[in-house]
Amino acid sequence: MPRRIRLAAAAVGLTALVGSLTAACGGSSSTSSAAAFDAANCTGGTLQVLDQATEDTGLDPAELYTSGGGAIPRLLFRTLTTRDTTAGADGRTVVPDLATDTGEPSANATVWTYHLKSGLKYADGQAITSADIKYGVERSFSSELAGGPPYLRDWLIGGETYQGPYGANPDLASITTPNATTIVFHLRKSEGDFPYLAAETQFAPVPKAEDTGKNYNADPVSSGPYTIQNFTKGKDLILTRNTYWSKSTDSQRLACPDTIDISFGLSATVIDQRLAASVGQDADAITTDTDVDAATLAKAAVQPSLKARLTSGNFPDTTYLAFNTTKAPFNNILVREAFSYAVDRTALVNAEGGSQLATALTTFTPPSIGAAYHPYDYFPAGATGNAAKAKQLLAQAGYPNGLTVQLAYDNNDPQDAAALQQAYAKAGITLKLNPIDDSSYDSVVTNTTTEPALSLFGWGADWPSGAPFLTPIFDGRDIVQGGGNFNLAQYDDPAVEKQIDQINQITDFTKAQQAWGDLDAQLGKLALDVPLYTANDVVLHGSSVKNTYVDQWRGWYDISSVSVK
Amino acid sequence: MTVFLFRRLLSALAVLLALSILVYGLFYLMPGDPAELACGKRCDVSELAQVRHAMGLDRSIVAQFWTFISSLFVGHSYDTGVGTTWCSAPCLGFSFQSNEPVTQMLLDRLPVDLSLALGSAVLWLALGIGFGLFAALRPNGLRDRMTTLVAMTFSATPLFVLALLLLIVFCVWWQVLPFPTYVPLTQDPGQWFENLLLPWLAIALVTAGNYLRLTRAGVLESLGQDHIRTLRAYGYSERRVVLRHAVRGALPTLATMAAVDIGGVLAGAVFTESMFGLPGLGKLMVDSANNVDLPVVTGITLLAAFLIIAANAVADVLYAVLDPRVRLA
Repeated sequence: MPRRIRLAAAAVGLTALVGSLTAACGGSSSTSSAAAFDAANCTGGTLQVLDQATEDTGLDPAELYTSGGGAIPRLLFRTLTTRDTTAGADGRTVVPDLATDTGEPSANATVWTYHLKSGLKYADGQAITSADIKYGVERSFSSELAGGPPYLRDWLIGGETYQGPYGANPDLASITTPNATTIVFHLRKSEGDFPYLAAETQFAPVPKAEDTGKNYNADPVSSGPYTIQNFTKGKDLILTRNTYWSKSTDSQRLACPDTIDISFGLSATVIDQRLAASVGQDADAITTDTDVDAATLAKAAVQPSLKARLTSGNFPDTTYLAFNTTKAPFNNILVREAFSYAVDRTALVNAEGGSQLATALTTFTPPSIGAAYHPYDYFPAGATGNAAKAKQLLAQAGYPNGLTVQLAYDNNDPQDAAALQQAYAKAGITLKLNPIDDSSYDSVVTNTTTEPALSLFGWGADWPSGAPFLTPIFDGRDIVQGGGNFNLAQYDDPAVEKQIDQINQITDFTKAQQAWGDLDAQLGKLALDVPLYTANDVVLHGSSVKNTYVDQWRGWYDISSVSVK
Repeated sequence: MTVFLFRRLLSALAVLLALSILVYGLFYLMPGDPAELACGKRCDVSELAQVRHAMGLDRSIVAQFWTFISSLFVGHSYDTGVGTTWCSAPCLGFSFQSNEPVTQMLLDRLPVDLSLALGSAVLWLALGIGFGLFAALRPNGLRDRMTTLVAMTFSATPLFVLALLLLIVFCVWWQVLPFPTYVPLTQDPGQWFENLLLPWLAIALVTAGNYLRLTRAGVLESLGQDHIRTLRAYGYSERRVVLRHAVRGALPTLATMAAVDIGGVLAGAVFTESMFGLPGLGKLMVDSANNVDLPVVTGITLLAAFLIIAANAVADVLYAVLDPRVRLA
């Protein structure tokens, strides 16, 4: 899942002004309530959620593209597996949800079998069956309900040509349901990471009789602890308890609040203001999509009561400088190495708001991915770049007088490009800035026919594993001609592809991650990109919200765990 | 007057048609592809083609435009996958993003802007005309200068800065008002009022300055005219001369401007809606343009154009009523 971090310069300036005003006024935030969190006695109250998202596309489990089931969708949809609901590194583990285990693989990990727990029910009281999960997966192949992750189409036998359950051939034969509690997936290749994919909303059950096609996104049938009481896209979503949900079959959602009231379409600045002030109902508020701004961070540094309400976490993502190695001068490894040496990561981190909000990276996989992170720094640029070494390499490559190249970037995020331009000038590299409109940036860069020689890009893991982090970027078979190509280097090496296939056969997760880490360390030597930084998510919550932690799978609050009592 | 109104209506229809052609045309020149957005990340070429077909975007632009125009008058049926939904006339199509009927989306959001426009207009007219008169009664005196200075300061403040300051002062420091959220008038009039006070104030403070200037200038201009001299000679009090007679000179301009400004807020107050989190047309327009949601963008453009044309027509009528000299035969 590509992810670009936005930081509107204007907004920062503005919030700095406003932040200083509030700071001058002194802390008006209320203090947190006395009683400590107790999971056994946490139910009751209304949790307020303040979000920027407008949720215009609604909540169809087929169309959602989440990581680990997302925040709000996970309150409504149970999936075969899910992320471990816990703070710390264990939060990156996959655990059973509707299923009794995380899946039984065949010897080569091409067949995955799941058994459902007993007593599972939808919010309307109907029993959840394996056929409903098959139907849910099948729906995601329909072009009317496009938008979800691409893996199923690639992995399931016949997935490439299957058109979903609405057409002439409604059945996808590679998913079988021998009985109402068993479901079997037949893959065309080994995929040790299948249990991670099974945590996505496409694996949520959808009762066929209740399917309303494109209209399902407004009123989906819930299998999770909450059900939709009222949903106005662009405005709000009110969730109340699903009385048929039982804690006895669900160890991963505490579901403490009785009601969850989600406000959409708020401005980031206002969300920060409201959470910082925690006035009235806002004391029970949290956000699922808004980082604190620089002004609030500065305020927190001098205000302990505010600092206590800041939580930080990481979504495994990398912002990098992408070379198109099919184009000059980046077909020359010496030029790519020169670019790696000359980079000033300190300037980039500062451009992103400082060390609290971003961490410099010399590896493609960030530390937050867990065991697949193997530290390396083959082209040591130091804190601010090694211009001398870069010049020397450029001279070797035939550019003794430096060179001029265009850098493509999203016009919504100009700060990184400006920082790079300054740093590279020291090494004799003139970067001509090529801003591309935000709405077409991805389609220009990910189209092999229009891809620039040099571009700024970001990549995030769909789940915390090396597979979804490295495969789309470095597997030559993933070079998609036309649109939708994320192998921006257009790197194609059959030996690496064979290695990828071998790692995908490993069903022991720890061993697989070691192998992915080794692969990253091996690919790093080729300087196919310049890793720049990984973003840190720093989030704030209202003063009465308890058990707030950022889950290490997604880097955001786990709102299935919080309590307002 | 009937002929006047009829002519206005005809030209309004022509403008709306021309605008819809323009929006459709511009849409195809705009960067971004709605099918690509709907298809999601790592969507390959064949899948994209299917999605484009499902969205009806693989047809010619003329065919798409014809569907749009005909749906407006006779309605249209749409495939949902499991069946079809009927969109009855005047049908503006379904949103690419939310799959809701655009006509309904606009009707849901119009009350927000209606509330914003009416409340803020009352405030800015009261503030603008009130302080304009206050300033005009003693031109170039201290209170004139102070009033004008304060008004100009507010006029020069960007709305999003003013909005933030108001939020901080009223919601964080004094805590006398809640952080605004839209509550429909029909649901709870008290809450509606309380929540809209700050947005009203923000718009009014930024807008009132112009009205103050116009009132002041109009009144001062009238005061120099012969009939005022005569009235003064008759011995009328200065207060009566200003409030009853001089102010009439400023009214036609004020009415024209108010009609157009109200039309503007009705058609979407982007910054106000964004800063105060109000789900109005302006915010919908920005979000839809970002998501290349053609049916919604077209729908809002047409509605906004209609509202502005209507506001202009009202302005013309008001002008004619207030100033008999411009009345058509």
